Amino acid sequence: MTNYIIRRLLLVPVILFGVSVIIMGMLQLLGPIERSALYVKDFPKNDRQVDGIIKKYALDRPFHEQYWRWLTGVKDPVTGHREGGVLYGDFGYSRSASQPVIDIIRTRFPNTVELALWTVVPMLSIGIWLGIKAAVYQNTWVDQLARMFSIVGTSFPTFVFGLLVLILFYAKLGWFMPGKMSDWANQVVRSPQFVNYTKLLTIDSLLNGRFDIFWDALRHMILPILTLSYINWATYVRVMRSSMLETLRMDYVTTARAKGLTEGVVINQHARPNAMLPIVTMAGMSVVGLLGGVIITETVFNYPGIGKATADAAANLDVVTTIGMAIFSGFILIISNLIVDVMYAVIDPRVRLS
Amino acid sequence: MANELLNVQGLETRFKTPEGLIHAVNGVSFHLKEGETLGVVGESGCGKSVSMLSVLKLVPMPPGEIVAGTAEFKGKDLLKMTNEEIRQVRGGQIAMVFQDPMTSLNPVMTIGKQLEEPLMLHLGLTKAQVRSRSIELLEQVGIPRAAERLKDYPHQYSGGMRQRVMIAMALSCNPQILIADEPTTALDVTIQAQIVELVIKLREQLGMAIVWITHDLGVVASIAHRVAVMYGGFIIEEANVKDLYKSPSHPYTIGLLGSLPQIQAQTRQRLYSIDGMPPVLYKKPQACPFAPRCKWVLERCWHENPRLEPVGEGHRVACWADTKSGSER
Ligand SMILES: Nc1ncnc2c1ncn2[C@@H]1O[C@H](COP(=O)(O)OP(=O)(O)OP(=O)(O)O)[C@@H](O)[C@H]1O
Ligand SMILES: [Mg+2]
Repeated sequence: MTNYIIRRLLLVPVILFGVSVIIMGMLQLLGPIERSALYVKDFPKNDRQVDGIIKKYALDRPFHEQYWRWLTGVKDPVTGHREGGVLYGDFGYSRSASQPVIDIIRTRFPNTVELALWTVVPMLSIGIWLGIKAAVYQNTWVDQLARMFSIVGTSFPTFVFGLLVLILFYAKLGWFMPGKMSDWANQVVRSPQFVNYTKLLTIDSLLNGRFDIFWDALRHMILPILTLSYINWATYVRVMRSSMLETLRMDYVTTARAKGLTEGVVINQHARPNAMLPIVTMAGMSVVGLLGGVIITETVFNYPGIGKATADAAANLDVVTTIGMAIFSGFILIISNLIVDVMYAVIDPRVRLS
Repeated sequence: MANELLNVQGLETRFKTPEGLIHAVNGVSFHLKEGETLGVVGESGCGKSVSMLSVLKLVPMPPGEIVAGTAEFKGKDLLKMTNEEIRQVRGGQIAMVFQDPMTSLNPVMTIGKQLEEPLMLHLGLTKAQVRSRSIELLEQVGIPRAAERLKDYPHQYSGGMRQRVMIAMALSCNPQILIADEPTTALDVTIQAQIVELVIKLREQLGMAIVWITHDLGVVASIAHRVAVMYGGFIIEEANVKDLYKSPSHPYTIGLLGSLPQIQAQTRQRLYSIDGMPPVLYKKPQACPFAPRCKWVLERCWHENPRLEPVGEGHRVACWADTKSGSER
């Protein structure tokens, strides 16, 4: 098992290298002057300055040189001060947000993580639970309900659902609101008494004993959560149901029953782990969908996560920030795929021991 | 006469499928005595597995449904038992081994864990006892380095080994009946012989009764005392092994025996095989289900389904024709 994880971890830099080469490669479609935007904070005052950047980062040199300097930055021969260098966390300066890209990631990513956690955890548990119930009680009302839910859920685009929910609960009823938290909550959070343990607001507010802030944060997040998880819930229910139905027909389930095991043990200990395998694969894939969904959903609900940051940057034609976000998303994807693979190996000995 | 263990009468099982109702088992009756081995033979789809699964109420319900019959095990009807009661019988007093060892073990559970389940459930052994008993069981079925191999997963075992594990698991609680559903069909010929040998050895040691389902009449000859031949959801002939091979009476049995390669025969006979396909029964047969494929077919066969009638000591057959003379009985 440890071996397996180490082997997979060794792959991470390789894949990241591929991703970054592709992204940098795409930049080759632009000229050296346009590429210099990666490194300048302001619009250059004169051409000499631009030429200096082009020289410094080898922007008119072959691809591999450009790539190397982009990766490692350039050290000033006199002061020893390093400039640039993705490896050192310098993704450039975002013009649209007026701050370094890495700072955008640093402040916004916890918000997206929080949103993703609140989306994925209930989604997986409810989806799996409902799918299993539907399969075990096939053709009863539980099953019919789950199937109706998944048909409606899969035939309705996220943004339409998001807008509808927004119109109803936000505009008409005023129950929930967009953004991250109310102003009063923001003041409390910024005050020195409030300790940021995890940077995840819902968790920190609980740790600080501020249930009012927790409730406020939840009210702000509930609509994006609903929107993000809506389609996936439906898919999880459907996939889990059919996977479970298939598993229940397997010979080893009959073997388990023939041993005299109770139906509960047969389903929970013999059938479910096997039926989970496709769900784990799917969970990995839906992280990709989630990253896409996050961009739309955060924009619709004005939620300050990296999805909204990316959308803002792209809308302002801010190449530097967009690239930084692309690399970072690639990194997140690789890590989440790694987690999925490890989980798969935990469940399935055939993967683990091969 | 030894005590009767299992007595099945008039068993009928159907499946509701989108294509229609399938009458898989249409009134099967048989009995099994202590320590006796009954071979059940017949073509694919004739209802062998469903009959035996029905006895333990293991047919998937739905789509399956046991609509009639009784299955008395030591005087108690298994089919009328509650789920709780029949669970005590399953794996404890009546155990099963299935056809495909590749799919009948849980791929994500260790062999040790799968072996231990019935031991804990039916014998209530402690952890330590379970472990030593598991090792003992694996050794009994001829698996080397048993202690180490307990923590292996099914995919680390070969097909033959897995079937040995299945047998060990089935016999772990000293059942009175072992139902083996084509346990050798999926295996290589040499492995098949080993498995048959193993079961014969274990039968001598443990003395359990066996129902051995197969479509290999050669295997039946080497292991069974008595044979039931099934066709279209019915038992159409039943006899002691010797009688059945010496004087098969049903045209279908004659066909089956004819399609056995006769190795010892001096002149190679042309293999006799039965033309036509076994029926899929969307209606409960009112006539003899074998009539369309029968060489001896009579007028009556098309209208009336024959019942099992005795033709000799412990030899019963369901056929209107006397296959010796060709005329009606
Ligand atoms: N779960 C099921 N759903 C629908 N029909 C079924 C089901 N199980 C069995 N049947 C039908 O019941 C009939 C008898 O099947 P059964 O499995 O008993 O045959 P068998 O004699 O064991 O054949 P084989 O030698 O192939 O194992 C077949 O026509 C089969 O299609
Ligand atoms: Mg079968």
